[in-house]
Amino acid sequence: MRTHFPRAVDGLRLAQDYRALLRPGDSEAGDNGTVHRLPRFFYEIGSWEEAHEIRLAPHFTLAELMLVDCREARLLLSQFPHYVPCTILLLARFLEDFRREVEAPVFISANGGYRSPAHQIGGAKSIHAWGTAANIYRVGDTFLSDARSIGKYRAVAVSLGPAIFVRPFGCEEGQTSDHVHIDLGYARLTPRECSEAS
Amino acid sequence: MLSADVSNRLHEELETLALRNKARAIGVALHDLETGLRFSLRGDRWFHAASTIKVAVLLAVFRAADEGRFRLDDSLHVRNRFFSAGDGSLFRLSQDRDATPELYAAIGRTVKISALAQAMICGSSNLATNLLLAFVDVEYARTVLREARVDGVELRRGVEDHDAHDRGINNEATADGLLSLLSAIRGDFLMPEAKREVIRILLEQRFNSMIPAGLPPHATVAHKTGEISTACHDVGIIYLPEREPYIAAILTEFDPDTEGRRETVAAMSKAIYRSLLQTEPKSNEDSLSAGG
Repeated sequence: MRTHFPRAVDGLRLAQDYRALLRPGDSEAGDNGTVHRLPRFFYEIGSWEEAHEIRLAPHFTLAELMLVDCREARLLLSQFPHYVPCTILLLARFLEDFRREVEAPVFISANGGYRSPAHQIGGAKSIHAWGTAANIYRVGDTFLSDARSIGKYRAVAVSLGPAIFVRPFGCEEGQTSDHVHIDLGYARLTPRECSEAS
Repeated sequence: MLSADVSNRLHEELETLALRNKARAIGVALHDLETGLRFSLRGDRWFHAASTIKVAVLLAVFRAADEGRFRLDDSLHVRNRFFSAGDGSLFRLSQDRDATPELYAAIGRTVKISALAQAMICGSSNLATNLLLAFVDVEYARTVLREARVDGVELRRGVEDHDAHDRGINNEATADGLLSLLSAIRGDFLMPEAKREVIRILLEQRFNSMIPAGLPPHATVAHKTGEISTACHDVGIIYLPEREPYIAAILTEFDPDTEGRRETVAAMSKAIYRSLLQTEPKSNEDSLSAGG
């Protein structure tokens, strides 16, 4: 396991092709008229091996929070470095608390952690683009695919604090039917060595 | 057309097999690439396509890859959650009813598109089929069929969509249509590498109790079967080392629970072989006897 953490980078200083996809610090309007700024500071990940070695919390590696499928932009899918918002640390911390409560392994689905604003599912309007959301599809041996299991683990997640939002079971917009979606809102994290000047 | 005598004899033989085995209906289409001859017995009759529709999905997936929409070694998120073409309601597939239950172990994770295509055809995986069709989209797949000039294959929904079925929204095909689909695959509709890969996948079919069962052991068949309670089909390209291949589509309809359905299709395959090659298909045992 890695002993050092990847370096944080200012997204505004990345190459243009990355900036176009990650849109660091850009404003994005939600469907309800609220406006939020996309993450600006990212960890730079050099390889999948590195992502698997980086343990964000005792039971969560970075790799499982950045696994996406081919709906992600080609540049961010098939070549390194990858960039993941620094807020992913907060998410991992919450997931560790959740795991402690349920006393079982917690599994995050593909496309269920960080997705870039260019990802075909939700794009920049999805809170997954902030790195503060996780889709939990399995707890222990239980696949979360019915009202009962989703309701049960939703209640656990909600009990962990008022900042936690969990979607209810269902097939309508804003509901989930094959996972528990949790998120911490539009949090952004600036590492202490980074400056927000400019 | 086949020479009149051969055609008439094959027609008669297929009708006799259908009658003897209590088939409610049959549709057979044939194109011999050695002689250019064609045969069609009720080739324009529509049948429930059952799993033969997966060949249409396969064509759409490879066409999309040819067009650069994705790469075949890209990964796709595996979810068991689909929306009905009927009322848009959620439905899930049953692992117990799927021929490739092992794919369900990947739910939540990703699987390469090429592996899903392989599972859809070789193992007739319903989960792989619905994932791929949802990914490329039904309308896109229908456009691909039109571009390939495939008439007689109506792709309307994923598999195991019971609500759509109850509303009469089904995947349907004619023998002539499935023949034209296989012809498109064998032709130049796909890029050469994609075409080779599609045929390789069809050659690795695991269910071989129909068309291949009526052929000599040295024949290889790139094919796809399809079975539901009332339908029993097999469509394929039959390769024989001594000649150019022929393409056959054999569609049958039976009352539910009728026995000997696959054997009927195999017997029809044998009849076609006999008509085209003017010889009986020899088994391995026959060859061994002949060779001492």
